[in-house]
Amino acid sequence: MVTKKQKRINWILVAVLLVLSIFFLFPVIWMLANSFKPDAAITADMNSIAAFIPPAPDGSFFDNYVQIITNTSFLRYMVNTLLYAAILIVLSIVVNGLAGYALAKIRFPFRDQWLMIIIMLLIVPTETVITIHFLIIAKAGLLNTIVGYILPLIVNPFNIFLFRQVFVSLPDDVYEAAQLDFCGPVKYFFTMVLPMSKTVVATVSVFTFLNVWNDYLWPSLVFTSSDLLTAQIGLNSITSNENTTMGQTLAVITLITIPVIIIYSLFSKQIVEGVTSTGSKEG
Amino acid sequence: MSFIEFKNVCKRYPGSDKNTVDNFTLDIEEKEFIAFVGPSGCGKSTTLRMIAGFEEITGGELYIDGKKMNEVAPRDRGISMVFQNYALYPHMTVEKNIGYGLKNMKMPSDQIKQKVDWAIKVLGLEEYRYRKPKNLSGGQRQRVALGRAIVKNSKVFLMDEPLSNLDAKLRVSMRTEISKLHRQIGATTIYVTHDQVEAMTMADRIVIMKDGVIQQVGRPMELYDHPVNQFVAGFIGSPQMNFFDVTVDNGTVRFSDGSTMTLSEGMLKKLNGRQGEMVLGIRGEDIKMDAQNMELNNENMQHAVITDTEVMGNENNLYFNFGGSQAVARVSKYEISQIGDRVNFVFMPSKMHFFDKETGVNYTEAV
Ligand SMILES: Nc1ncnc2c1ncn2[C@@H]1O[C@H](COP(=O)(O)OP(=O)(O)O)[C@@H](O)[C@H]1O
Ligand SMILES: [Mg+2]
Repeated sequence: MVTKKQKRINWILVAVLLVLSIFFLFPVIWMLANSFKPDAAITADMNSIAAFIPPAPDGSFFDNYVQIITNTSFLRYMVNTLLYAAILIVLSIVVNGLAGYALAKIRFPFRDQWLMIIIMLLIVPTETVITIHFLIIAKAGLLNTIVGYILPLIVNPFNIFLFRQVFVSLPDDVYEAAQLDFCGPVKYFFTMVLPMSKTVVATVSVFTFLNVWNDYLWPSLVFTSSDLLTAQIGLNSITSNENTTMGQTLAVITLITIPVIIIYSLFSKQIVEGVTSTGSKEG
Repeated sequence: MSFIEFKNVCKRYPGSDKNTVDNFTLDIEEKEFIAFVGPSGCGKSTTLRMIAGFEEITGGELYIDGKKMNEVAPRDRGISMVFQNYALYPHMTVEKNIGYGLKNMKMPSDQIKQKVDWAIKVLGLEEYRYRKPKNLSGGQRQRVALGRAIVKNSKVFLMDEPLSNLDAKLRVSMRTEISKLHRQIGATTIYVTHDQVEAMTMADRIVIMKDGVIQQVGRPMELYDHPVNQFVAGFIGSPQMNFFDVTVDNGTVRFSDGSTMTLSEGMLKKLNGRQGEMVLGIRGEDIKMDAQNMELNNENMQHAVITDTEVMGNENNLYFNFGGSQAVARVSKYEISQIGDRVNFVFMPSKMHFFDKETGVNYTEAV
C-alpha cells in the first residue's frame, strides 16, 4: 500500500524531475526546431520563444537535411560508422567474452595474476596508448584501412572484466550436462554461455556501439581517405566548412544524435546495469 | 565380466595428502540399481564423477561394458547424469532441454520429436512443454533433468542426490517415480545419496562408504540385518541402532550400570570365545515389551522408565535410559506407554550384535 504521504512525495519528485528534464531538453529542442529553419529564420527567432518551435511544414521543411544528404557524404559516414560498430560488437563479444570465460572457468597457471593485470589495465586511459597503437598500425601498413582502425579497439580490459564477473557465477554442472549432451566447448560458449548471459552481452554491445559512435581521436588518426571516415569526423569537417549554414550544422548534429537516442531508449536497463553492477556482483 | 567394474580405483585431489577415494573395488551388473550412501564428504560424488569422467581417476581402473574408461572423454562413455541442482539449460524450453542431446547426436528431427514426446508423457510434463526452467517448480525441473537423461538410451544413469533439493513429500513420491522409471527403462543406475532411507527404498544393492572407503556392499536387508561393522549398523536404519558399552564374560553381558544378561547358545557360538569389552548393538524393534517374548526370555528381563515417546501410530518409539546410555525401542501400537511408565523388556537374544570396541568390526557377522 502506498500511503497518502508517500503519494504526495512521489508527485513532488515527478514534478522536480520533469522540470529538470525540461532544463536538459531545452538545447535539444532548440537544436531540433532550428534544424528545419533557414539561417535567416534562426537569427530572427533567436530571442523569442519561437526559437523552440519548428517552422510550419512546407516544401522547404527538410531543406537543411536534403542539403546535407545530397551535398555531403555524411550519410555514408554514418553507414560506415554503423558498419564498424557492428563488426566491433561481434569481435568484442567473441574475443573479450572468450578471455573472460577463460579467466572465470578454465584453470591455467597464473590465472589470478592475469586477472590482476587486466584489472590494472582498466585505469590506463586510452589516450596514453593511442600513440603506440598508431605507430604499430602505421608500421604494419594498415593506416587508412578498416582493419587498422578496428584492430586496436577489439581487446578491451573493461569488457573482459565485465564478462569474467558474469561468467564466474555460471554453474559448472550445466557445462557438465552439456558435455554429456555432446556439446563441445566452443559450441557451449556460443550456444549456452552467451545466451545465458544476455544482459552482459547487451551491455558490452551498447558500450561498444557508443564508443565507436562517439570516438573522434582514433578514427581521425587512422583514416585519411574520405571514403572510410566516421560520422564524428564527418560532422567536424562539415561544420568547420565555411559554406555550411547554421541550419545545416544543426541538421547534422541532429542526425548524429539519432542513433544514440535510439540506443539509450532501447537499452537503458543494460546501460544502468553496466555502470552500476560491474563491481563485484556475483549472483 | 560385470557391466561396470572398479578395480582399486583411487582419487587424490591435487594438493591433498591422502586419497579422497581409496581402493574402490566394485562390480555392478547390467540393469542394477546401485546406491552409494554415506555421510557428507565421504567421496560419493567424487566416485560418481570419476565414472562420468568429470574427475580424473588417479589410481586403478574403471571398466564400463568391458572397455577401460580411465582416459575416455565423458561424452564417449555412454552415460547420462542427473545433477543435484538440475543443471538445466536456462534459456531453452522443457522440450528443447530434453531434446538437446539428441539434436547434437544428429538424430533426424521426427525421431527426436517422437522421443521427446515419449519422455514428456512418461514424466507428466505435457503442460510445461514450452516453459523455460525458471518457470518450473523444483520437482518439475528434476523431471526435466530425468527426461534429458532417459531420451538418450544411455546404458548407465548417474544420479547425484537428485532429490535433495525437494521438499519431504515430493521426495517420497519422486522416489517411487525414479524406481518406476528404472524398471521401465532398465538402465544400470548409480544413485548417490546421503539419505539411507532413499538408498534402502530404491536400490537393489547399496554401497556404504566412509572416508572414501567402501564399508559394505549388499542388498538393503543384508545391510540392515548383517552389518559388518558398527558404522554400517549405525548408518542404516531409523531410529539408529542402540549401542551399549558392555563387558562379555563367561556368557554373561555386563552393562556399565551393572545390569546383566545371559547370552544364548547361538550367540555364544557366534562370539567364538571372544571376551572382554565390546559394544553391544540392538535395533529398536528387537527390544521386546510384549508378553509372549517376555515369557520366553524371562530370565533376561530388564526394567526401565520411559523418558520420551515418539508416536507415529502404526509404530511408536519409546525412549528410556538403560545400560548407561539412552535406548529406543520400537513397539507396536498395542505396547504404547506414557512418559514415566515403568516397563519390562527383553533383548531378542539372536538379534544382538557385538562390535569390537576399537575397530567396530561386527563379531557376530563372520566375515
Ligand atoms: N575439486 C576438489 N578439490 C579438492 N577436494 C575436493 C574437491 N571436490 C571434493 N573434494 C573433497 O573430497 C571429499 C569428498 O567430497 P565428495 O565426493 O563431494 O563427498 P560426498 O559427495 O560424499 O559428500 C570432501 O572432503 C571434499 O572436500
Ligand atoms: Mg556429494
